[in-house]
Amino acid sequence: MSEPILLEATDITKAFGGVRAVDTVSVAVHEGTIHALIGPNGAGKTTFFNAISGFTFPDHGRVTFRGTDVTRTLNWRRITMGMGRTFQTPSVFPELTVDENIRLGVRAHAKQAFRLRTPGGAAAAAVDARVDELLGFVNLAAQRERLVAELAHGSQRLCEIAMSLSTEPVLVLLDEPMAGLAEAETDRIVAVIRDLRQRLGLTVFFVEHNMRVVLALADRITVLDRGKLLAEGSPQEIAADNAVRRAYLGSEVLERV
Amino acid sequence: MRARRELAVFILAVVLLACGPLISPLVHLDISILSEVLVTTLAVLSVNLLLGYTGLPAFGNAAYFGLGAYGAALSVTYLHVDFVTAVLAGAAAAVAGALILGPFLLRRRGIYFGLLSIAFGEIFYFIAYRYTDVTGGEDGMNFPRPPFGPGLAHVAIHETQFYYIALVVFAVAMIAFRVVVRSPFGRTLIAIRQNEARVRYLGLDTDRFIFVALLISALLAGVSGALFGLLINFAYPLELDWHQSGNFVLMMILGGAGTIWGSLIGALIYVIGKDIISTITPLWQIFLGALFVACVLGFPRGIVGSLGALRRRRPVDPEDPVSSEAFDAGAPVEVGRGV
Repeated sequence: MSEPILLEATDITKAFGGVRAVDTVSVAVHEGTIHALIGPNGAGKTTFFNAISGFTFPDHGRVTFRGTDVTRTLNWRRITMGMGRTFQTPSVFPELTVDENIRLGVRAHAKQAFRLRTPGGAAAAAVDARVDELLGFVNLAAQRERLVAELAHGSQRLCEIAMSLSTEPVLVLLDEPMAGLAEAETDRIVAVIRDLRQRLGLTVFFVEHNMRVVLALADRITVLDRGKLLAEGSPQEIAADNAVRRAYLGSEVLERV
Repeated sequence: MRARRELAVFILAVVLLACGPLISPLVHLDISILSEVLVTTLAVLSVNLLLGYTGLPAFGNAAYFGLGAYGAALSVTYLHVDFVTAVLAGAAAAVAGALILGPFLLRRRGIYFGLLSIAFGEIFYFIAYRYTDVTGGEDGMNFPRPPFGPGLAHVAIHETQFYYIALVVFAVAMIAFRVVVRSPFGRTLIAIRQNEARVRYLGLDTDRFIFVALLISALLAGVSGALFGLLINFAYPLELDWHQSGNFVLMMILGGAGTIWGSLIGALIYVIGKDIISTITPLWQIFLGALFVACVLGFPRGIVGSLGALRRRRPVDPEDPVSSEAFDAGAPVEVGRGV
């Protein structure tokens, strides 16, 4: 791993009551990589994700992002520093149109959200252009006037990805982007995630269950099991790791690799 | 197209309301009841901004309403100010109250925001109730309606003049309210109602938006309370009580949460309904309660909200320019809640 570290989580611990959902886990996400976080149900993947994205704060440990300690930084401020995030169930504004959903993010990034007047002229044109660009990127231009609540699950997720891109992040955190999707929809999202790096040059850190997707996309894989770090390495190394095999992967999955 | 229709509706409504003093004798309605409708609408708008648009249970807005009434009453009684200054004093008292309470309310959401709002309102209620030397305690404060003020120092305000003053304030408030809810700021408030976590994950400090919404809400409630006090020449502790807050919420739901005109319709039905039914039977609250239950069961979006939804129910073909224009005009702009 020669690329510089973009996000580094050191000894993250988070307990709920007596249960240590995440127990002294350290992960470094390098710039320009697609990094996957996998593990069986209840391994603490989402808890770990919440701790690094500021949805909750860790009990112990340190998070640095772009060289700055952000362990106790409020989540909205992390976004302004260049983090973007999606959730397991698409987190969107269901009663607004696709266009308005994305526009909110673009306006927020352009520091127009607090205004009492909608800016005109060049500022408005810049916002329109950026909305069009994002709609094109996730291929939702045809549905732009539809309410998000009316969209298929996969399209809602694409809308959410476009929203997380609207704030122009350098790192995108995706929490189970394929959860509940059909094969065809999964392929669309896989293509978009690949484009995040190839076309936009972003770093992606994602939680996923679908091993086919993880092995196809990731440069690097971190495995959690019962709150602890079990293994980390390239897809080949993880697929060959006996501990991972026992804890998580069915042997038939490995044979296909 | 849509903006022009809205402007037409607005002008029509203001012209109709301007004819109020001519119409009211024909239907045996006191003009001061119509003034009360306009004044109350401002308080309903203040609840609507927090509850209908931003999704915060504003169950304590009577605190700002009462602060407005007492601000006017105290300034007239002890400082002998004119009408305009009394209204400004009431508004300032309410905004000052929100500035003090805001930081405590800001981090609370959902039912905790609602309960804390009620609790703070009760604090003001008991201050007014107990601080008898200044506020008159349970008996309240009687005070004369002062002359208008700047440039018109000797012009007395009778009921008809009061009505037109209230109408001007109402019209300004409606325009300002529309500007706020249609602005990028207002869009963000609506987004907070739908999904606050996502708004934060767009890099926005939602607490800041909510604090400003609270101040605007308090300003509206304060002006409403001050005008109400000046209308009835009286300020009393029950104006600060949570029953009063509940009435504003009820009127908002009756008219339609998240709709501008719903606030007027809700206040109109409640205030006039109360006036008419209470002359027939002392059990008027039973009838208003029944109306409220019927409304929640039959029209959960309120009267204006349900009308808006009805208009939008026609099937929409996005390829068809005519119907897709209807679609543009309907759903997205008012967030599926009517006009």
